[in-house]
Parts: sequence; C-alpha cells; structure tokens
Amino acid sequence: MGRKIIDIPLGSQHISLLEPIKFRFACENEKIVDVSSDVGFVHRGIEKACTTKFAYDAVPYVVARICGLCAITHSLAYTTAAESLLEGVVTRRAKYLRMLLVELDRIHSHMLCLSHTAENAGFEAMFMRIMGDRESVMDIQERITGNRVQFDYVSIGGVNRDITTDIEKEIRKTLAFIREKTHGYLEEFTTNWSLSLKFKGVGVLTLDEAYRYNAIGPLARAAGLATDVRSETDYLPYNEIGYEMRVGEGGDIYSRNIVRLFEILNSITMCENILGGLPEGEIQTKMKGKPTGEALVRLEAPRGELMYYIRGEGKAMLSRVRIKTPTFASIPAFIEVFKGSEYADAPAILASFDPCMSCTAK
Amino acid sequence: MDFSRYRKRSPWILHYNAGSCNGCDIEILAALSPRYDLERFGVLNSGNPKQSDIFLVTGPVTYRSRERLVELYNQMPEPKVVIALGSCTCTGGVFRGMYNVEDGIDRYIPVDVYIPGCAASPELIIDGVVQALDILEKKTKERENAKRLYSEPTTENGITDRSNSAQKIGTGGFSPEEMKPNSPERRENEED
Amino acid sequence: MKKIETTLESVVSDLTAFYDYKVWEFLTLNGVAIDEGTTEIQWIFSRYGAIDDVVIYYAPVKNSETVPSVVDLIPSAIISQREIVDMFGITVENSEKGLYLDEDSLSAPLATCRI
Ligand code: SF4
Repeated sequence: MGRKIIDIPLGSQHISLLEPIKFRFACENEKIVDVSSDVGFVHRGIEKACTTKFAYDAVPYVVARICGLCAITHSLAYTTAAESLLEGVVTRRAKYLRMLLVELDRIHSHMLCLSHTAENAGFEAMFMRIMGDRESVMDIQERITGNRVQFDYVSIGGVNRDITTDIEKEIRKTLAFIREKTHGYLEEFTTNWSLSLKFKGVGVLTLDEAYRYNAIGPLARAAGLATDVRSETDYLPYNEIGYEMRVGEGGDIYSRNIVRLFEILNSITMCENILGGLPEGEIQTKMKGKPTGEALVRLEAPRGELMYYIRGEGKAMLSRVRIKTPTFASIPAFIEVFKGSEYADAPAILASFDPCMSCTAK
Repeated sequence: MDFSRYRKRSPWILHYNAGSCNGCDIEILAALSPRYDLERFGVLNSGNPKQSDIFLVTGPVTYRSRERLVELYNQMPEPKVVIALGSCTCTGGVFRGMYNVEDGIDRYIPVDVYIPGCAASPELIIDGVVQALDILEKKTKERENAKRLYSEPTTENGITDRSNSAQKIGTGGFSPEEMKPNSPERRENEED
Repeated sequence: MKKIETTLESVVSDLTAFYDYKVWEFLTLNGVAIDEGTTEIQWIFSRYGAIDDVVIYYAPVKNSETVPSVVDLIPSAIISQREIVDMFGITVENSEKGLYLDEDSLSAPLATCRI
C-alpha cells in the first residue's frame, strides 16, 4: 500500500449530526491527517438585524433565537450588557432567578450532550434513558417560565415571572430526582465498557494545545485548563451559591463526559442553594434612557464562554452587537483534536464537543 | 415486493436543519424520546433520504442550505410528505427579512403540513406527524389509481417510478391507435 | 475593560510583546463600522483566572487597507479573521472569503451599519 490520501466528507446532512456542518477529512488509511470545515450553513444575519430591525429592548428575544439550547445565556448576556449601558441596577431576587434558569439550562444541555455521546457509542438505551429523565428538567422550566424551549424569561430590568412556593417545591423534588439519576449515570459512564474504556485516550486535547488554541468550556476543563467565566466575572453572585470548578485530566472524551457529569451535580447544588437563599424583593426594575457607550459582557454558557460586545449611541437602535459564541471560538481546537485520530471515531469525537452550529453561524 | 401496505405503519423520518435555532430540533429529539414516544407510530429517525417517507424541515432556509434542501427532497422516493416544523420554517418567523434567509421553505419545496410554534411543542409535533401519516396514505392510494389508469408507474424493488406515466400524460406517449377507446393495446394496459 | 490604541503597522509587534498564551485568552476579533469606509478592528483578550480583566487592542482601518494576520501568534484567530473578512468586506492577510456568505448574499452586510 502506498501512502495515499483520501478525502472523506462528513455532512452537511448526516445521521450523527443534529445540525448541518460539513467536514472534509483527509485520511491516510484510517488516520485523519487534515481537516477542513464549513460552518456557514445556518448563517442568518442576526447581528445585523439586531442593529437595523429591532429596538434595543426587543433584542433579548431576538438573540435568544440564535440557539434554542442556550437561549437563556444569550438573552442574559445581552441584557446584562444593555443594563450596564443604561446604568440600571437589577434586584438581587432577579439575579438569583436568572442564575437559577441558567443552571437549569446547563443541566439539560449537558444531559442532551451525554445522551448524544451515548448514542454515538451505540448505546441506544442509555440515550433514551437520559432523554427521558431530561424531560423532568424541561417540565420545571415550563412551570417557571411558561415554555419549554424558547422561554424568553429575561428582559431588560429583571425577569418576566416570579416563582411561587408551589413551583419551588416541585423544583426541589425534580432536583433530587436528577441528582439520583446523575449518580447513576456517573457509575455507568465510569464502569460501563462501551462508555468508559472505549473513550479513554480518544480525541485527546493536551493542556498545551488547550492554551494554544484557546479552548473553552468543558473542552478546556477536561484538558486541565482551569478557566470558567463563572469564576472570572462578578455580575452574577456565583460565589454566594457554592460554585465549584471541576477540572479533569487527560482531555479525552471520557474526561469530558466526567467533567460534564460533575458540572450537572454542581449545578444541582447551586440551584438548591439559590432556592434556599432566594432574597425577597421585586423582580423588575424600570430602566430609563437609551443605551450609550460600549459594554462587553462574558458569561458561561453550557458549551463555554459567550461574549457580547454592544455599542449604542443614545438611540433606540444600537450601532453594533457582536456575539462571540462558544463553539465558534473552539473550532480551531476541534480541528486540532481531529488531526491524528481515527476516522471511525470522528462522529463520537464530534458529539463529545457538543457543537452548536446555530450559535456558530448566527 | 410491494411495500405500500406497510408504509403507513412505519414511516421513516428524514430531518434537515435549514437554518433553525435548534429549538425545534431538540423538540424533535424530545418527541422521539420515551416521554412522548413518537416511535410508537413506527417512526424511525433515519439519516438517509433514499429510505425516508417524511421530510421534517426546521429553519427558514438560509442561502447555503437551499441547494441541499432541494437535493434532499429530490432524493426521497415518492410518495413523500413534507412537514414544516416551527414558525420560522412556515413563514420566516423571527428571521423574516434578514439578509441571508428565505422566508419559509415553501418557496423551494411543496409543504403538506405546517406546524406553528416557536418552539413547537412535542405534542404539536406528534399531531403533525400523525396528520402526515394520513396524507402519506392518501398519496399512496393516488399512486395506485394512477397505476390502474396507465399501467404505469412501475414498482420495482419497492421503489415506485412515475417517470414513464408522467411522460405519457405529458407528451401523449400513446400512439393514436392506443388512444381509441376500444383498442386492444389500451385494454391490455388497463388489465394489468 | 482597558482599550489600547494601535496601528496596522505596529499591531503584530505590539501583540507579540503583549501576548503570552498561558496568561491571556484570545477572545475574538471584532469590527465596528465607524463611518463610511472606516472600520475599527479590535483584538480582544482576557486574563485567565482574573475578574473582568479584559484588554482590547484597536486600530482604525480604511477599507482599502490590508489587516495583517496574527495567526502565527494566535492560531485560533483564523476563524474570526475569516468572519471579519465576510462581514466588513475588508481584506485580511491569508484569510479567504466565504465562511458565511454565498455568492449571491449581501456582501459586507455590517460595513455601513448605520441607522
Ligand atoms: S420556530 Fe423558533 S424555536 Fe423553532 S427553530 Fe424557529 S426560531 Fe427556533
């Protein structure tokens, strides 16, 4: 056999992909030697619409439609930036409720990713189990906000709905249920051969590569890079509710799964602490004026760091909204991981990144 | 072998994201999962257009996905049903008028079922798919009628081929003798 | 948020002196349309582990000028450079068009982003 390089395309429509993304793997025998990607399939032009079609107080609901999974982080990052331009102060109760929703969102998003990883390992039953359990999180989201997915909970000045004692009770019950289930998954993901051993040493991102390619989110933390925007910003009082960073080692698929599982557990604890220490007060404050100046806000979405940069000139329309989404920033790191791994592992590796193309292309 | 009798019992779904926000895609997964269990209708999510009966599209069709959308639609065998899932798929929704989107998929392919909602809830998705099943059955019947009239299209290995019958209707593929009401050829065709 | 002005000629040397890959995380490359024909390009960094320590290097760019590439220094900048090329219609070294936009899309949609 000579050294022959074959191009194999993956995507844009493929059973293991939820969203359109196209990779072209240049393979030498089974090894991937080069990768090129096309990520622009879902580019809609939201950045422009935010500055030409929608006034600044409608933008939170538009940016939520960038991604259905991390909608709350998008609208929250935008509102935080807009509020800092309007120089308004949000009540502590509203902040706590926002954190509650962000953490619930992280729980169900990580569960989706884990189930998808299980499916790619050929473990269909596990996929169904996790998806089934995930519904309970969706249920409480619906109870709190009124909708399952695009719930438009955050608005400039606070949040749109309050929670009652009834709902609180239900949330606590669900959280306890999810915690128990997560311990079960943890056991499954560490001891089951097809979910643990099979994934060890596959799709490795080393610590140095993580620094070089600016990996973020669970991808970076699994490689041992201690970066989490929740500990690097202070608009949301994460230090009050028991946030802990979990850093993995190895940087392979296995350690990404474990990091995600521990983040779910940590988020559950945080949600319980939020409910325990929920301050009294209003959930909305009136904000006056038009945004003037520039602001940059970072927030930890389930997949890593989300950044909003907005600039306003005292008019109803902003003059620039720049959105840097987690998956977009980690694509160079993804490509680095692919190089040198086996082609047969490609779908599993891709699933373990938990990519979100709708975010990437906006 | 003739598969048409079983089609309604096991429709396979092809899902394509033509620029949606992911919200509706996640709801499809949720609908397939145990709580809602769309699979009890025999539905299977397949990634292969050539084996699918129901085309589930989300998203307002971005410029780059136009070609793929039409290509996938063409690759699906007849009869097929197209479902537009989500407000943005039906009309453009929140993305209407943005510079890189077309407003809704019906500018490119014919749509049978529209499911509104942003995001459409799994209950609605189930309703939509069940409605699509009826349409699928109707379409299957229509195709059998066509077969009786023109003795075409042929069904070979389960793939129905309508190209011949369309030609006959369109170009008058019958010879003048065949067109006479009592010609032997005509009767022969009708019999089989 | 600290903003440091730089120019197109000096940006690569400035960033080489500034950027230590174990200390700074490169967030993204940003563009803001200032007025017709001029875009402000920003290189945004944040410090690992520090609270809100964000540094922005910025330089005004005329549409006829070429922005130097920083990929040798910061490999992950490649994708944001391609995005800037598409969105503002400016040229960046070693970055081709077509990350998001197709042939018949609106070209440089954000370039004259004025109300
Ligand atoms: S209808 Fe709404 S939730 Fe569904 S894909 Fe479109 S924007 Fe997303």
